[in-house]
Amino acid sequence: MIRLAFRIKMILLLSFLAIAIIIGLSSGSVNIPFSELFRLENITIAKIRLMRVLLALIAGCGLSVSGIALQAVLRNPLAEPYLLGTSSGAGLGAVVAVVFGCNQSYLPAAAFAGAISSVSLVYAIARQARRIPVQALVLSGVIVSVAISGIMVFIVSSSPNEALHGLTWWLWGSLEVYNISLLITVSIVTIAGVAVVYIFSQDLNAISIGEEEAIHLGIDAEAVKKVLLLTTSLITASLVCVSGIIGFVGLVIPHIMRLAVGPNHKTLIPASCIGGAIFMILCDAIGRTCFAPSEIPIGVITAIVGAPVFIMLLKINQKVR
Amino acid sequence: MPVLMETKGLSGGYHDDIVVKNINLRIISGDFLGIIGPNGSGKSTLLRLMTKALVPRNGSVWLDGKDVSRLGLKDFTRKVAFVPQDTIIAFPFTVEEIVLMGRIPHMTRLQSETKEDRAIAERSLSLTDCKHLMNKNIDELSSGERQRVIIAKALAQEPALLFLDEPTSHLDIGHQIQILDLLKKFNRENGITVVIVLHDLNLASEYCENILLLDKGAVFAEGHPDDVLTYQNIEAVYKTVVVVKKNPMSSRPCVFTVPGESVCRPR
Amino acid sequence: MKRLLLAACIAARALCAGEAFASGEERAIRIVSVAPATTEILFALGSGSELVGVSQFCNYPQEARNIEKVGTFSQPDIEKIISLRPDIVFCTGLEQAPAITTFRQLGLKVYVSDPKNFEDLYNSIIEISSLIGKTENGKALVDKMKREIDRIGRIAESNIGSSRPRVFIEFWHAPIMTAGRGSFIDEMIERAGGVNIAKDSKKPYTYYSQEQVFYHDPEYIILAYMQGGADPYDLISKRYGWSGLSAVRNRHVYNDIDPDILLRAGPRLVDGLRSIQERLAR
Repeated sequence: MIRLAFRIKMILLLSFLAIAIIIGLSSGSVNIPFSELFRLENITIAKIRLMRVLLALIAGCGLSVSGIALQAVLRNPLAEPYLLGTSSGAGLGAVVAVVFGCNQSYLPAAAFAGAISSVSLVYAIARQARRIPVQALVLSGVIVSVAISGIMVFIVSSSPNEALHGLTWWLWGSLEVYNISLLITVSIVTIAGVAVVYIFSQDLNAISIGEEEAIHLGIDAEAVKKVLLLTTSLITASLVCVSGIIGFVGLVIPHIMRLAVGPNHKTLIPASCIGGAIFMILCDAIGRTCFAPSEIPIGVITAIVGAPVFIMLLKINQKVR
Repeated sequence: MPVLMETKGLSGGYHDDIVVKNINLRIISGDFLGIIGPNGSGKSTLLRLMTKALVPRNGSVWLDGKDVSRLGLKDFTRKVAFVPQDTIIAFPFTVEEIVLMGRIPHMTRLQSETKEDRAIAERSLSLTDCKHLMNKNIDELSSGERQRVIIAKALAQEPALLFLDEPTSHLDIGHQIQILDLLKKFNRENGITVVIVLHDLNLASEYCENILLLDKGAVFAEGHPDDVLTYQNIEAVYKTVVVVKKNPMSSRPCVFTVPGESVCRPR
Repeated sequence: MKRLLLAACIAARALCAGEAFASGEERAIRIVSVAPATTEILFALGSGSELVGVSQFCNYPQEARNIEKVGTFSQPDIEKIISLRPDIVFCTGLEQAPAITTFRQLGLKVYVSDPKNFEDLYNSIIEISSLIGKTENGKALVDKMKREIDRIGRIAESNIGSSRPRVFIEFWHAPIMTAGRGSFIDEMIERAGGVNIAKDSKKPYTYYSQEQVFYHDPEYIILAYMQGGADPYDLISKRYGWSGLSAVRNRHVYNDIDPDILLRAGPRLVDGLRSIQERLAR
């Protein structure tokens, strides 16, 4: 019975996704009706929009699933993908690369290196022998993020304006695609990561009840934690280096989808992939068309849309109790 | 009677402390063993050491003649289940979903629940009188109902050995009796071996076939309630004056507390 | 407390200075400039020697590099500036607003210039020149700039003919930033004989989407930021879809213009204009 209801929900979600993709392809600062989009003279714009919609899909999917995994592993409903320092590390990497006058094409690599270094630092600080206590991880993540942000502000304030430009991209996110091979690499990493998280659905269910509970159900909680933390860090780091920080998605989509399909990760993860993709595509469409030809960075839109949705969720939750 | 679980020189604790010292224990199949002792005597730690939730500092644990440290976690949990003192669940799982998690030791990672798994879960829910709660969210239940659901989850594991760490301490007397009656029924009818840490000495006396009295991490006394629950043992371990008499209904020892003022001084 | 002491010192010094002026002593004016553009203007007005403090980014002309540094662009070192006993401090823009307020509270004379277009710039130069007692030089500088700009404009008109080439100037790559209507760049492109493809953007400095670039198909692309020595044509053509643009097909992609001469609101804008015009003539 439950499974039937889930199938119906998935079909609904997939239809919304199809609609969102059409909206995404039709939106842009240049006004082209959908029927004329694939004509030869418009084909470059069509290709660019296709790439953007693809990146929105991948990013929405990756960030939502990372958020789910972190919320389960850290047993904290406020956890989100950037909690463990990936975002600030990426920003620092990018700013350092800009200040040293690096070639444009090295920027994503620098951001990725920064993100991974930051997470490794967080992990190293929180570690206790072979265990990673969850509370220490959260604390360490917050402290490292703040410290790195401080260093970044210091570097930016003592450099010419160019560094500031580099910061803007990172700070508010952008789904513009310039480098096709980077997009493909990030997509592969994200899809692989999401698949790994899905495979661990059962473990996630058990761990979200408690680490000891999970052990009593035959699940090696420490090993599962390490695998999932590594996976979410890789997904988040690769997404940040190609699209900057896009907040709220990893925090709000898991909660919305939990309300829609329940907390069982076997159904939650597929549903959130699609939910996250829809959200991202629509937010990007809004950012691209509202103030054309200027663009509002996507992080701004997700925040503006995400915050009231989150508040609404909170209220619904309170009423239910 | 076959020995289901055995500990040899078991010692362990947290960080650098040794809370449990050199415990040699034999759990007979079909037993209903109660573990009692004052706060800090190491009862919970002992349970953790025996269920692979804590790695021992010294000594070993044997299940069905096999060294537990060489046994995979899933293999172990197919035979051994654990009910903790209280569970706080942060996510709105339904009761059915929680109980179905009890089948995880029998499922591989990529498997979905089969019809049989669902049937077993339903049966566990009926046994604990929770079937009517099946579709409710776990965070909507009272603590008594929640404990029964957690016990149902443990039963769904189809364990041979069930550990419980003070499962009734947050419950009123009616619910306490209800749960202990349930456990006694499983023990008698399904042959599940029960090891239960209890706070209440009289409940331990009524329900347990054997009692283990712990003091400062070591075994102080072991055996039938008549032999363990003597006023000398209790006064020595709990450092308080008590009077022990036979319960007229069950002939089991009954511990009466003696408040400070009424202590009789020998003349 | 500290502020009170500082204010007292300033007041005392001002009194002394006032006496000095009253007694007719000739004393050189002391200037601090924390705006790189204004520093260039001051040197062009012949007041380079009167500058006692500049910001870290005042790097033109060469002599400016030897002047005492008084902090970064967004964080002027207030104490250092006070210690240099300036007669006037030249600032610019929103970022320096807190510092400006502090200077004024301490009784320092502050001039804020933030010209948005050439008219503003000319007025600003005249005002600056009169503040430092070099009004004649100011008028001369403005005239020189106007004449040069007209000259370049005439050359541009004669070269271009009927259709003005479409030009895209990129200030940053991620996200793409360009200059729209109301910016110096927009004016300069027009004067140089071209058409700024971003002229419909309402803001002078704005994010821009790739789609617009494709739609307008610029014939010239100028990258106005530090590249780390990369080949501009290489960089741009690697971007997905950009290799089909007219500018890329005809190899009219340039990154060899110093961004400062395009962005700094000073006399070198004329050089910037000339650079643009030279490239459009190719």
